Amino acid sequence: MAHENSPGGVGNLVTLDGDSIRKATSAMDLAQRIEGRLAYATDQRDLSGLLYGAILRSACAHALITRVDISKALEMPGVHAVIKANDVPGLNCFGIVIRDQPVFCDERVRYEGDAIAAVAADTPEQARAALDAIEVDYQPLPVVSDAALAEQQTALHNSHEKHGGSNLLARETLECGDLDDAFSRCAVIVEHHYQTPRQMHAFMETEGGVAIPDGKGGVLFRVSCQSGHRDAEQLADILGVAHEQVTVESTVTGGAFGGKDELTVQPAAGLLALKTGRPVMIHLDRFESCRTGMKRHPVSVKMTTGCDAEGRLLAHKAEAILDTGAYASLGPAVLENYLDHATAPLYRIEAYRVSGRLVYTNNGVCGAFRGFGGNQATFAVESQLDELAHGLGIEPAALRRINLRSPGDAGSRNQTVRWTAPPAGVLAAAVASPLWSRPDTDTGRWLTGTGMAMGAQGNGLGDGLPDSGGGRISLSPAGRICVEFGFSDYGQNIVESIIRSVCNGVGCREADVEVLLGSSRGPDSGPTSASRSTVLVHGVLASILPRWMDVVRGHASRVSGHLEEGLAFGPGGVFFNGRQVLSYRELAESASPDEMAASASRDFPVAPDSGQPVGRYLQLQIATVARVAVDRLTGRVRVTDLHHVTAAGRVIYPPGYLGQIEGAAVMGQGMALTEDMTTRDGSYLADNLDQYLIPTFHDAPLQRVDVLDDTPEDDPFPVRGVGELGIEAVAPAITAAIEAATGVRVRRLPVDPGDLLVAMAAKEQTL
Amino acid sequence: MSDHYQVPETPAQENISFELNGEAVTRSAPSGETLLDILRESGQITSARAGCRVGRCGACQVLLDGRAVPSCLVMAWQLPGHHVETVEGLNKDPDFLSVRDALASESALQCGYCTPGFAVSLVAGIRQRRQGSTVDLTESVAGNLCRCTGYGGLRRAIDQLSAPGYPDEADGQGASLSEEQ
Repeated sequence: MAHENSPGGVGNLVTLDGDSIRKATSAMDLAQRIEGRLAYATDQRDLSGLLYGAILRSACAHALITRVDISKALEMPGVHAVIKANDVPGLNCFGIVIRDQPVFCDERVRYEGDAIAAVAADTPEQARAALDAIEVDYQPLPVVSDAALAEQQTALHNSHEKHGGSNLLARETLECGDLDDAFSRCAVIVEHHYQTPRQMHAFMETEGGVAIPDGKGGVLFRVSCQSGHRDAEQLADILGVAHEQVTVESTVTGGAFGGKDELTVQPAAGLLALKTGRPVMIHLDRFESCRTGMKRHPVSVKMTTGCDAEGRLLAHKAEAILDTGAYASLGPAVLENYLDHATAPLYRIEAYRVSGRLVYTNNGVCGAFRGFGGNQATFAVESQLDELAHGLGIEPAALRRINLRSPGDAGSRNQTVRWTAPPAGVLAAAVASPLWSRPDTDTGRWLTGTGMAMGAQGNGLGDGLPDSGGGRISLSPAGRICVEFGFSDYGQNIVESIIRSVCNGVGCREADVEVLLGSSRGPDSGPTSASRSTVLVHGVLASILPRWMDVVRGHASRVSGHLEEGLAFGPGGVFFNGRQVLSYRELAESASPDEMAASASRDFPVAPDSGQPVGRYLQLQIATVARVAVDRLTGRVRVTDLHHVTAAGRVIYPPGYLGQIEGAAVMGQGMALTEDMTTRDGSYLADNLDQYLIPTFHDAPLQRVDVLDDTPEDDPFPVRGVGELGIEAVAPAITAAIEAATGVRVRRLPVDPGDLLVAMAAKEQTL
Repeated sequence: MSDHYQVPETPAQENISFELNGEAVTRSAPSGETLLDILRESGQITSARAGCRVGRCGACQVLLDGRAVPSCLVMAWQLPGHHVETVEGLNKDPDFLSVRDALASESALQCGYCTPGFAVSLVAGIRQRRQGSTVDLTESVAGNLCRCTGYGGLRRAIDQLSAPGYPDEADGQGASLSEEQ
């Protein structure tokens, strides 16, 4: 790692570069992935009697269903079962927060992805052919497609008593101070509208998995998912069986990013498996994945922000509308996190009132997506700060410096906060980025510019949601130190983090450790989301490793005859006086597995403040400096460089940390520049990756990640999760850089090249 | 809906013979079936993966007579007389081992779903370079999408593979990653 003296003498700034990666990489698991040897959910073909399932989706974005006739489909070749709503023995609905999404619609469809029936057949082709033979009659209803008008239009859920039959699913306001008084004392006030897109997760592996009946009424699911335990609970209710009859094993998952948090293919696969008594695989193709899968909530917000003549932030107001689509999913939690970030958690503001409305529409379904509303809010907040700085005639960095919180300050919701470095240190490091000293050039065609933005990111699910997790450690019969958690592995490097923590704690080598994740039969660790896994893993291991080592040491002492005090753990086994006396395998053979196991569960750390709701306790920060080149001919924007400064506690596994920041940043670049699942009358206009453009290798910028780690020695939570941090500040950094290059401030994402060209032309005319 | 629904005709199966990872194989398939489906239905090949089925994402990339192609765009009738290579058959190939070691040591992957496709594209790029092509190795991955990594590790791996004399002068045996550490 390249060490530098950080600017302003703050903290230890370390650049995560190639050397630190190569030294740390766990090459074993990676080689398996490269050689294609890891089995993903839909690689399981060696199941006897395997059938293929397919799901009939709605032909309308909003309609009443007047008839569903499956009789012809049942006669089709190769078909073993056709099921619809009345074949659901248990609850015909699901949803993490509110169970408002039908497994199969029988009265009404609310979006194009709604399921109406499903087929199991000998081949995928036969299953699809049978879908075509299912007859459905619809009576179209007016399509609610504009979130701003949704509350005045036909209610999608008329049973929604809570909201008086309107499309308003939730509304929430966070406020502090006397806003009117604060605005009256402002020297500069800026007010703008901002809009962010309906971004698609676009994981490379589309939703899929297998349901395997156990012949006794139960089902084993091997699927691509994010929370085995939570899926199992919902699936038992749908299948109408006892909870212990359902097991969900999360297979190696080909990307998720929040998009596999809800049930996807599981209900239809499970019902078909029970109906036929045979294993059923369903794998959505990209078209169906685009049409049915969750997206990022598009947000439209009006933000008004003011400061005094010295640049001190006094007043801040936001009114946001979030389009949640046809079903709630995690929408209410996204709204809460959006508002939390809209309070500008990094900055001291005298008074604010931020409010949001979450509305149902017929535009697909929105739910969890890396950033979880936070990065949408940060885009608007950081843009507002730049506008204020321009209004005052000072540097954007100077305005931020005046207002950044100090480590001792309370958070924006008056909660106790644990930072891992002073925000001013993060800003100072970003201001010192070498990108600023590169001259802005105008080659005639290309205009270059550099800009920055900052962001804060909390760890954990946040207010109101139960948030705890457990883990277990044991010695497997083969002599491996076996660590189990309920999280899924979808490429977020959690396996490597766990291995590294165990090796550090025990003193063993990587090959001694085995990690088992993602089974609903294993410990319940809660969902793989909200940047929470790493924090919980570290907390749980800190509690169980010493206990487990005591147990094993005691046993080793009895078996070997050596005094407990002299026994030490090392590579391959237990040592006495530097000599191995027992291998882990010999130890395992000398006892039953349960004798040498330890488990624990702990609550996710939250602010120790009274009253609800409160803001996030464990806070991370990032500053992103972006350099762009804008094509004067086409209006296209190229991001050439991104330089991030992060403060997120200790780095356990450098390749994972770097990869999470780099990957999230490029995802944020996609949201800023090209990605939007546009709808017209509730229908998506894109249905595959040739129309929905995610960044390619040649779109990706050069990136540098500097880590500022000033975590106090006595911090009980020195390790934080960085899965979402990298996306937080990318979009506003890019639009700031575009402004530096062209003079144009873009407030609607993704940046429309045509609009940008028009604005650039207008700007040049006025010069 | 029509009351005269016609059961679609099942396309005729044909015997399709081609070379797969160095061995002659014959598969029964309709002539319009994709190579991707032919490979996956055998159960032996899982490294070619469906991502988009329109030739955009590169997750199903294989070598066809040494050139990297998306197997979702190759039809059964195009296969006779040609040689298909997948990652399963490349595990002794020195170019593949160089690529594998570079990707692993630079941590150029996360979920891994797209990775065999990237590896195949890079192997093709290295082979073309050896045959005198001056095209940048980064061009060989222009048809592959990765959603996890942001391509940082991949860029570092390509830098490694593009260093003068590498991998042609390396021992080509890799860093014995498959062995117990």
